[in-house]
Amino acid sequence: MGTARSVGITFEQTLPAENAEAAFIAELRAGSQDAFAHLLAVYQNPVFNLVWHMVENQADASDVLQDVFVKIFKGIKGFNGESSLKTWIYRIAVHEASNHRRSWIRRHWREPVSVDDPDSPSAAAAAEAASRERRPDQVFEQAEREVVVKQALASLAPPYRTVVVLREIEGMPYEEIAQVLGLAEGTVKSRLLRGRELLRRKLASYVGKQHV
Amino acid sequence: MFETCVEIREHFSDYLDDRCAPDARKALRYHLSFCDACWQQLEQMEAVGEELRALPRRPVPPDLALRLRVQVSRELNKKPWSQYCAEYWERFQEALRPFLLPATGGVLAAVICFGLFMGSQVAPITDVPDVTVQLVTPARVQELAPMDFNTGDNGLVVVTQINAEGRVKSYQVVSGEGSPEVMQGLDRMIYFSHYQPATMFGKPTDGEVILSLRRITVRG
Repeated sequence: MGTARSVGITFEQTLPAENAEAAFIAELRAGSQDAFAHLLAVYQNPVFNLVWHMVENQADASDVLQDVFVKIFKGIKGFNGESSLKTWIYRIAVHEASNHRRSWIRRHWREPVSVDDPDSPSAAAAAEAASRERRPDQVFEQAEREVVVKQALASLAPPYRTVVVLREIEGMPYEEIAQVLGLAEGTVKSRLLRGRELLRRKLASYVGKQHV
Repeated sequence: MFETCVEIREHFSDYLDDRCAPDARKALRYHLSFCDACWQQLEQMEAVGEELRALPRRPVPPDLALRLRVQVSRELNKKPWSQYCAEYWERFQEALRPFLLPATGGVLAAVICFGLFMGSQVAPITDVPDVTVQLVTPARVQELAPMDFNTGDNGLVVVTQINAEGRVKSYQVVSGEGSPEVMQGLDRMIYFSHYQPATMFGKPTDGEVILSLRRITVRG
């Protein structure tokens, strides 16, 4: 069983080099339009993906993403460089998504939930099928897999879900997750173990069918 | 190293992330070599991780990306309050500049006119004594007539009644010699003396003056 993980994500390769980060931050602080354009180009997709997994709704994720970048813009002058820029941005994103989720629960806990979710993986997969000309059974198998995994992930309590998303989907190392969430590394480790175990139990029958 | 399956499963997460110590890794592999249940659970956990990593990454919708760029651009071009204030101050100064010369001339003319007008309003200094502001002032002798008569050794003390016009109404000798010669001399002296009447709230009124008279002889 291979244990080496591939966490190569597109944006990782396009992030500014560590030695150039200070210069990049200085440009951002100076209010350079080009620097902010680059920041958006580099971070908007990964941050949107993270937020989307945390709030599970494209409209909410869009709102949160805008809030995150407004906060980044307003807070960049106060950024002291104690952590990396990426960690700082992810910390803001996680914080905003958590706040949004809490306020959403307060606002909508009485409202009925629609079964026709336009953001569901099925709808996305159907649209993808039309564009990529894949076989319908492949498309729907993929869609089904996404639905099951997404539902299992969504059913996790927020502390576990956040750690699992940051580790498994964003591929962050433990130290960085601890910095983003402001937790001890041991806490991250225990939450990750607990989150993975809960997911394994929820998806046992499904992954057993696929892999065992 | 590991006693039970429960104990070994606590390290699955570390094992998957390649964070196990070499000894723990070796012990875990040994346990997995004979424990099918643990092996299956580890495989499931790894499969779940693969499923999560296989979830498609959601790119930012194009309209949202455009909104973000617009929002950032707007934030970048937003001016701070201090800059707004400075700009308004500059505009205000520019607006006032055409009025600078006329306004300065107007102010100078106003100052000159004010000086001239106030100069004409200054009260002249006169010799007229000020009116006393005391509530009540007693009657006084302004000038005693230089009459020579013999007052005797003990002198005379006379209470003189003065009316509001400063004239003597009557007098009474309180002590001293009251011979006809003395009284004649006293009459003349009191008659030819000048008095200032008493005043009450600035208005002349009746009053009295007490005179103590004694003849003084000086040898030359």
